Amino acid sequence: MTTTPHYSLDDLIALTVNRVVEDSNTDTRIVVLTRADETETFMIWVGAPEGDSIRRALDSTLPSRPMSHDLIKNFGEHFGIKTQRVILTDVKSSTYYATVYLENKGVERMIDARPSDAIALALRTNAPIYTTHDVWKRRSGQHLDAWLTKLDTKNIGTQEV
Amino acid sequence: MLDSSILLRSLLHQLTESAVNFVMITQMHVKGLMFDPYNNAYIVVLRDEDQAEMLPIWVGKSEASAISLALENVAPPRPMTHDFMKSFLDAYNAKVISTVITDLNEHTYFAKVHLMYEDSEYAIDSRPSDAIALAIRSDAPIFASDSVIRKQSSEELEQWLENLKPEDFGKLDS
Repeated sequence: MTTTPHYSLDDLIALTVNRVVEDSNTDTRIVVLTRADETETFMIWVGAPEGDSIRRALDSTLPSRPMSHDLIKNFGEHFGIKTQRVILTDVKSSTYYATVYLENKGVERMIDARPSDAIALALRTNAPIYTTHDVWKRRSGQHLDAWLTKLDTKNIGTQEV
Repeated sequence: MLDSSILLRSLLHQLTESAVNFVMITQMHVKGLMFDPYNNAYIVVLRDEDQAEMLPIWVGKSEASAISLALENVAPPRPMTHDFMKSFLDAYNAKVISTVITDLNEHTYFAKVHLMYEDSEYAIDSRPSDAIALAIRSDAPIFASDSVIRKQSSEELEQWLENLKPEDFGKLDS
């Protein structure tokens, strides 16, 4: 549990997950988030299993077996624990930090998470994803187009695997 | 007469089957993790107390790493997926009581996580890898139903083990 300060909605920027891009050379995935009111993007590098989990949620793919984030979602459904929102709260030396806000019978709890787990759960529970103005200013991804051009030429055809 | 005898036999059969499914479980311990170079996967080896039964469960790389981190008691700088799962349960005091490997069907194992939340017990479907990764982090026992142990022919594993070189074994299996 963290002691994250309370954020008002004015402090936050709503994000939507646009897509997950494969970086097969490093076995990582890039989660591309967009600001809801703009076309500007924000990229977060995540591990392959977490990235694939986010992609399955985006595609609404129902796996034949519950994967790790489906299991967390199922725990929440059984116990009535709601994922209220996810906030990407900080970035330090290229590592992003997230806080997941949970609610059960009026009791709110905050838990520390990697953005990948937070986003994978948010997409499965229809919880909104936010970041702060500070993190948004310090984000990576301003040169997304250049990045994607480089990646796409290498990875054409591999993204749907 | 004939009908009723068939009915009785079928009833008896069902009773025996359900008794086996519900009652007979054996506690298992994670004995080690091995790399399977032929399938490019990892094997979680479960053994019972008497070392009489062995259950090899093939898992992917990330699942193996989730189990290995917990076994070695390594606290990663950031919470990994199963640490996050544990925090999620801890936030509302939901306790993992046990996990049970319940079934084996066409080389796929099935498991359930048993939890206590408020005053009720829950049994939730899970992949064995998630169940084991969570059980170790929660100090909860791992069981296998005897039907799974019976279905798992250890011959296959033994044959496979003979082909392994010592360097294929991880340090946990020493």
